[in-house]
Amino acid sequence: MNPLLSAHHITKRFPGVVALRDVSFDLQPAEIHALCGENGAGKSTLIKLLSGIHPHGSYEGELRVDEMTAQFRGIADAERAGIAVIYQELALVEELTVAENIFLGAEPKRGLFIDWPRVRREARDLLERFGVDLDPDTPCRRLGVAQKQLVEIVKALRKNSRILILDEPTAALAEHEVQVLLGILRDLRTRGIACIYISHKLEEVFALADRITVLRDGATVFTAPAFDTKKAEIIRHMVGREITELFPRRTVAGNRCTPMLTVEGLTVADPATRRERLRNVSFSVAAGEVLGIGGLMGAGRTELLMHIFGAWGKRTAGRIELAGAELPALPPSEVLRRGLALVSEDRRRYGLILDQSIGFNLSLSALSSLTRAGFIDSSAEAVQNTALFSSLRVKAPTLDVPVGKLSGGNQQKVVLGKALMTGPKVIFLDEPTRGIDVGAKLELYELINQLTDAGKAVVLVSSELPELIGMSDRILMLHEGRITGEFPRVEATQETLMQAALGHIPGE
Amino acid sequence: MNNRLGALLAAFLAISLFFVFKVPDFVSPRNLSLLMIDFAITATLAVGMLLVILPGHIDLSAGSGVGLIGGVSAVLMSNHGWHPAPAMFAGLGAALALWWAMGSLIVRQRIPAFIITLGGLLVFKGLFWLVIGSHTIPISVGGKPNLYSSLTTFYLPPLAGYALAAIIVAGMIVSTISGRTQRVAHGFPVDDGELTFLRLFIAAQMLILFVLVTNQFRGVPLPAVILGAVAFTVWLLTQHTPWGRHLYAIGGNEEAALVSGVPVERATIGAFTLMGAIVALTGLMQTAYGGASTTTIGELMELDAVAACVIGGTSLKGGRGSVLGVLFGALIMACLISGLTLMAVPPEIKYIARGAVLIAAVWMDVKLSR
Repeated sequence: MNPLLSAHHITKRFPGVVALRDVSFDLQPAEIHALCGENGAGKSTLIKLLSGIHPHGSYEGELRVDEMTAQFRGIADAERAGIAVIYQELALVEELTVAENIFLGAEPKRGLFIDWPRVRREARDLLERFGVDLDPDTPCRRLGVAQKQLVEIVKALRKNSRILILDEPTAALAEHEVQVLLGILRDLRTRGIACIYISHKLEEVFALADRITVLRDGATVFTAPAFDTKKAEIIRHMVGREITELFPRRTVAGNRCTPMLTVEGLTVADPATRRERLRNVSFSVAAGEVLGIGGLMGAGRTELLMHIFGAWGKRTAGRIELAGAELPALPPSEVLRRGLALVSEDRRRYGLILDQSIGFNLSLSALSSLTRAGFIDSSAEAVQNTALFSSLRVKAPTLDVPVGKLSGGNQQKVVLGKALMTGPKVIFLDEPTRGIDVGAKLELYELINQLTDAGKAVVLVSSELPELIGMSDRILMLHEGRITGEFPRVEATQETLMQAALGHIPGE
Repeated sequence: MNNRLGALLAAFLAISLFFVFKVPDFVSPRNLSLLMIDFAITATLAVGMLLVILPGHIDLSAGSGVGLIGGVSAVLMSNHGWHPAPAMFAGLGAALALWWAMGSLIVRQRIPAFIITLGGLLVFKGLFWLVIGSHTIPISVGGKPNLYSSLTTFYLPPLAGYALAAIIVAGMIVSTISGRTQRVAHGFPVDDGELTFLRLFIAAQMLILFVLVTNQFRGVPLPAVILGAVAFTVWLLTQHTPWGRHLYAIGGNEEAALVSGVPVERATIGAFTLMGAIVALTGLMQTAYGGASTTTIGELMELDAVAACVIGGTSLKGGRGSVLGVLFGALIMACLISGLTLMAVPPEIKYIARGAVLIAAVWMDVKLSR
């Protein structure tokens, strides 16, 4: 059969990175094709290409729809070709009803005015036809995530889409909701609608998909019919990267028994949805140790760090001890004072005041220690700032340059410097090497060594398994808010870690 | 930043020169003295407004507050026979409590400052009219001067004016020299010596010229001294204390500020509380200037204060702005109003001119910051 949609030898470059490298991919009519890969393997980039967000001309290679060359200039062109993407962040207007959302932007009119009876009637027909059990008059804000997703799907089908692309659709769903969604997708398949299904959950992938393709480092490394492969094989292809980069981890000998941070039975709920995002998490990290925390997107790694730091979530159970003293739920200003610092994964959002200078940002967390009689001692501040500026080798002419003008790697150094100036005992590094070049990465790894040499405890969250294995003394894997494995460095392999990240607890 | 101050200086000179040519009386000592009082009152409120705009908020209730606090003190004094000092302190206390409460509502309940202070605008106006019974409450019985009324009728004697200028110049010289010595001691680069001297020299010249001119007519007006004290305090707080840095950080990126350990709630409530104190001070000055508390005192002053901030390069989104800029902004507004009044321009046209200058200033700022 001729493919409905196909990509031929696609290469997509961003400044400094090749996101997709000679990728070919095809989707048959009425096929569910699963796309698997680690975080950053290129799945999102491929979707953005297929949906017109990266327009024709911004990549090399060719897209075809119905065997005809497709040159999408934007999302509208892709929609006209019958391609609809259901994103993780849903794009519904909360205050409008289900029917209004389904017809948003294409309301049937009678003369100048919207024909409301028709909107409701047609919405009801659509919902019934696709077997979605929802009242068209319900406001969307009253729906759960799963129901909103169904509304999005119906909205896409209303536009006569023939190809649905679902990006991690079940990340926020409960088990029975997942089953409803899978049922609807299977039903749509019998109606000739094809689907590209992206998920980290291999059970779902095997339960649903006709074919599975694995992306790794921007290339398609494996494609096979689902009945012809196994989970272990998929995992092997997902992680098959060689550890070629240099990880200069120097383990500190001796004094490893002083625990700096101990977490026991921590359970935390999302303040907005009240759903539990972390369940019964326990671990400890000692002075001079690097504890790695891995897991896939949405596993709760960032939430764990942000919660301990006091910036996120409501604790429902568990206790935390920092340097031998109980750490109650406190705001970040207090947690910092007690010796815990955090370098956030999203430095533009949580890390920096972009319009302000490097100096302003560096000293922001440590102002109280630079204050004499209520006023900032500007020469003491300049001394400290200059010292960090040169020891971190921030590449900028002076301390007065706005941080927004620096490159990613240099911005990261400023965020790190800001944390270090508070003199922390424990440092959380959340994806510290994301979006920075190899040279800056090496400098950062060396810095981690210096920190542990100085007796500090480091918690390193990373999506890159080689980095996790290369730089940690011990590794924890999280899956859906629970710890699914703890590995000493010597026992960790990419396969075992990925097993744990996918929720397979060793020995079960 | 220097670019922006340069542009402000140019705009100020252009407007002044225009009026000097049109109405030579503009630079008469008497008019300059009056202009100075107008400017001092508007600018004091505007400097306070800077404090709440820096962390990304706004205060629309300031104008009503000016009327209310002036009215409360006037009523306590004239109708209840209080001495001026406790009556004024009672007004100050009320303002601190009200602005602390508004600040707390804004940060703790997460209601936008626009809404809370818009509510404040209406509530305070109603309270104000209730307090004065919609009458005119004089602030000096039988025209006898007291502490309250002399807020705007007292002038420093000529010698005291020179002495004050001398003290300020001496302070500037000492702080400049000690700052330079410290930087040199730590091996940091310092500005060229001649340039630093020139800057000090010009500032001293301006100050002495100001005293000379005001001494031609009664002397340095007290509101100018009050403005000087308020502006210096706010400058010191915003530029040289952790709290000031925190305000800039919150306005620049509130989430990052929180994660950097900035006590966002406490700092913001502090800004509103200090704004309350400044509103009280402005209210007392404005009411004293009017000679009595009447229903129109303070009307639209919040908008003049916001306009002065914006003209002076303050970003309404927060995180950017300086005391010096705000002072220039208020000076431009005050000159404009004074000049137009001298030219006997009808009030309708004055409103239109003020609006036009505001829009032109923001338009220029948008152009400059690209």
